[in-house]
Amino acid sequence: MEKISQSVIKKDHDPKISGRSIYVCDYPSEGVLCGKILHAKVAKAKVLGVKVPELPEGYFYVDARDIPGDNNVNIVLDDMPIYCRETVEYIGEAIAMICGPDEKVVDKLLATCQVEYEELEPVIDLRKATEAFFNYDFAHGDLEKAFAEADKIYDEEFTTGYQEQAYLETQSMMAEPEESGRMFVHGSMQCAYYVKGAVMRALGCGPSGVHIYQDVTGGGFGGKEAFPSILACQVAVAARKCGKTVRCVFDRREDMEYTSKRHPSICRYKVAVKDGLVTAMDIDVIYNAGAYSTLSAVVLQRGLIAGPGIYKVPNLHVHGRALKTNTSPCGAYRGFGAPQTYFAVEMVMDHIARDLGIDSLEFKQANFAKQGDVTSTSGRYHFPIPIPDMIEEIDQLCHYRQKRLEYSKPQTGRYRRGIGMSMYFHGAGFTGSGERDIIKAVAKLRKYADGTVEVLASNGEIGQGVRTTFPKIVAHELNLPLEKVYYNHPDTARVPDSGPTVASRSLMIVGELLRRAAIKLRTQWIDGEEQEVEEHFREPTFMIPFYIDKFQGDAYPTYAWAVNVLELEVDTYTGITKVLGAYGNFDVGTPIDYNIVMGQMEGGFLQGIGYASIENMDYDAKGRIRNNSFSDYLIPTTKDVPNLQCILHVDKYPEGPYGAKGAGEVPLVGGPPAYLDAMEQALGGVNLYHAPFSIEDTMKVIMKEGI
Amino acid sequence: MVDGFIANSLAEALEIRATQDVVPYAGGTDLMVVNRPGLTYLFIGKVPELKRVFVDEQYVHIGAAVTFTEAIHNPDVPTLMKEAISRIAAPAIRNAGTFGGNLGNGSAKADSVLIEFATDAKLRLVSAKGERIIDVDKFYLGRKKLDLAKDELIAEILLPSKGIENYAYTKVGGRNALAISRVSFAGVFASEEGKITNIAAAFGAVADTVLRYKDIEEMLLGKTIAEARELRQDYLQAYSERMVLTRGRVSAEYRKGVCMNLLGDFLTKFGI
Repeated sequence: MEKISQSVIKKDHDPKISGRSIYVCDYPSEGVLCGKILHAKVAKAKVLGVKVPELPEGYFYVDARDIPGDNNVNIVLDDMPIYCRETVEYIGEAIAMICGPDEKVVDKLLATCQVEYEELEPVIDLRKATEAFFNYDFAHGDLEKAFAEADKIYDEEFTTGYQEQAYLETQSMMAEPEESGRMFVHGSMQCAYYVKGAVMRALGCGPSGVHIYQDVTGGGFGGKEAFPSILACQVAVAARKCGKTVRCVFDRREDMEYTSKRHPSICRYKVAVKDGLVTAMDIDVIYNAGAYSTLSAVVLQRGLIAGPGIYKVPNLHVHGRALKTNTSPCGAYRGFGAPQTYFAVEMVMDHIARDLGIDSLEFKQANFAKQGDVTSTSGRYHFPIPIPDMIEEIDQLCHYRQKRLEYSKPQTGRYRRGIGMSMYFHGAGFTGSGERDIIKAVAKLRKYADGTVEVLASNGEIGQGVRTTFPKIVAHELNLPLEKVYYNHPDTARVPDSGPTVASRSLMIVGELLRRAAIKLRTQWIDGEEQEVEEHFREPTFMIPFYIDKFQGDAYPTYAWAVNVLELEVDTYTGITKVLGAYGNFDVGTPIDYNIVMGQMEGGFLQGIGYASIENMDYDAKGRIRNNSFSDYLIPTTKDVPNLQCILHVDKYPEGPYGAKGAGEVPLVGGPPAYLDAMEQALGGVNLYHAPFSIEDTMKVIMKEGI
Repeated sequence: MVDGFIANSLAEALEIRATQDVVPYAGGTDLMVVNRPGLTYLFIGKVPELKRVFVDEQYVHIGAAVTFTEAIHNPDVPTLMKEAISRIAAPAIRNAGTFGGNLGNGSAKADSVLIEFATDAKLRLVSAKGERIIDVDKFYLGRKKLDLAKDELIAEILLPSKGIENYAYTKVGGRNALAISRVSFAGVFASEEGKITNIAAAFGAVADTVLRYKDIEEMLLGKTIAEARELRQDYLQAYSERMVLTRGRVSAEYRKGVCMNLLGDFLTKFGI
């Protein structure tokens, strides 16, 4: 193992494990007002008025009229209001906030607020939705000709459900008006500068009128990419009105029902096959965006780019829409739109292989894209594709081929087994030229007179280890002990904008800036002096320019690759499915800390297995999510997948620090197709079309097929 | 903060129970889920008389304040009960949760209560005025409704000390740990001189209370295995007609299908 990969104790290990870390809800309550949101109770209505009870002294009612700036939260399209406008568009939309010193009194006041609605017809059913926030279309090759000449055409539809991030700490935010008039907003978040832009707009102030600090954050998984901007605006407006510090901490039910989740999807795949090769795919993708567009544009883009999977598809058409429904706006969740289309493409490939009577791995292998091939967006795979080697490695680990053959024989008895595989990439960093044109990351190092070095960047520690890995890189280049280099939680008043903590980018992009900055500092180092160095993002020169309007060019500079295998045993009496083994082989480039990376791989893989099986969430005909607690929305525990083994395949990325690539998201993406592939085998070779696949779904197949 | 009493003896506990409006608790694991304001609590988790496990001629006595972890490690507790309670939640909950609490919460999903139904267990209820022994199925009057007077406490569970060695048990939870039962089944079988003397089948988490149909069981009582095998279809049919299940976190159809599968498997296991 390279020196840089050797594991260290995480910098935030001690305070977190000992319980000394201060989260938003841990700050003392003296002088702090408790803010709670008045949520809409209907999916679509005109708000005619709110009868607010008489407020005791020191209590405040805050709504859209109190916004000094603009009632639009800065995300992508900026259509989401801070507090509702004339209408509410989903159950849970914020109408107002009540603030006051005593939480119980606030609760009581909230319960006695009467909202007068004029109910309007909501759009609840995704299949009936017509309003597209985003509508993308791209193609290459000659689709018509390929379908006309095909030996066989397959036409299948796949659906996936919500997935809730289920971070330990719920959405939490505080706003403190400072004496200077500046607003200080701090809380649980991934992207301090996103929050800053949003709050500036809400308060109608310039960059010096506000600063944002990321508190210790109890997990994000994407769920704290955009939503904290909304909550930050809400508390900032409230704090401005009250003239006091306002803190809003969501309870679990609010968080599960009203904050962003993974987009449910419907994907239709039409595939042409000739001589055992895929010659064309015509892909139609629908994502349920919810009531406001928030991050749906970028989520959908990533999903569409992953549309044909890792296969060479010479003739391709991809059409995708993010449709509006009157439900909670969906947003970012680890994987960011890719798990949905990978599920569809991997399943359709399995089904075609089954129909052709070929082993699905053989069929997939025959269709793999190779280095130099054209990507879905007419870019290039610039680097070797390690998937064939990774398959051999995982086969050695879990004897996939042997088991696949064994379980394909007719099975009898109560318990039936199956083994399934998925393979995929995850584009590292922002889609397209986002890093160059939008983010323009800047990172700094500040050396103090005593020889300690501080990393100045805006990437938040959310459990992924940046407070450790950033200093590790810098200490490595400066030849300093790790204790001499530190990285605090970002405060926008003191750190440059190195971009958001998203898209598996922090380590690969910002880590490389820091590596270069450290080299620069090394060459300029003067003992006993305070020094500062700065580095700016440079796009790699090999990139084919990307045009998002045409979906053309290199969507990503490089990719993290993965092969997942799941081995299952189904109890045909109950539908209970035991995971006998979960095996993941991940290429995230050089691990900058082996334990941290393995933690990411195991945790993400388990989330993927949950997404495939037990993580079931839906809304009813009124647009209401009913399973809003951890007893009704179950996520897997370690007892559900006791045998989970991950290995790393290292293909270095020359533009990443020491060859590191994006690692955050890739482990989650391939759970559903591997799980369903195994399930199909266990159930005697049926075709399945949706995830999550619950014990009830399993029983339905068992009863229908007479297994 | 919680207002409450701590009892150090059963007499003290019963005195408080008789004179105060209190919610008795031991482990507190169910109460922790929702803190209802304005209630007064009586902690009985350290009352020695409620912490005992012992065996006499007829029964295994399990004190209401015995925790699941204590019971799992106690050689006197029957295997069937151990199997069920070892599937409750996770170690932290099992370290605190008790038999009395599992009963007192009144849920048809309680994993230890299913075993009490399947084994015809009795409960010893005590008050300052005296005590009474009640069949567990009489104790449950409906969903969250118990035959427990305001001054009474659950003192003991009385499990039969013999005749529950042969059984079938399955819990279907939403996952492998920290999961409330979605369907649970316990069947107890006994025979003497080739004739069936007990064929109890109890279904948990599928209706307002644990279900058991003693009149259907009678179809097979006193029969030889061969005779019972002849009656298998009629017996299953009778259950299928009788069981009208509610939907919960899973559908009624799923529950029914699984119950019938597990019942059929129970018969098969004992040659029927």
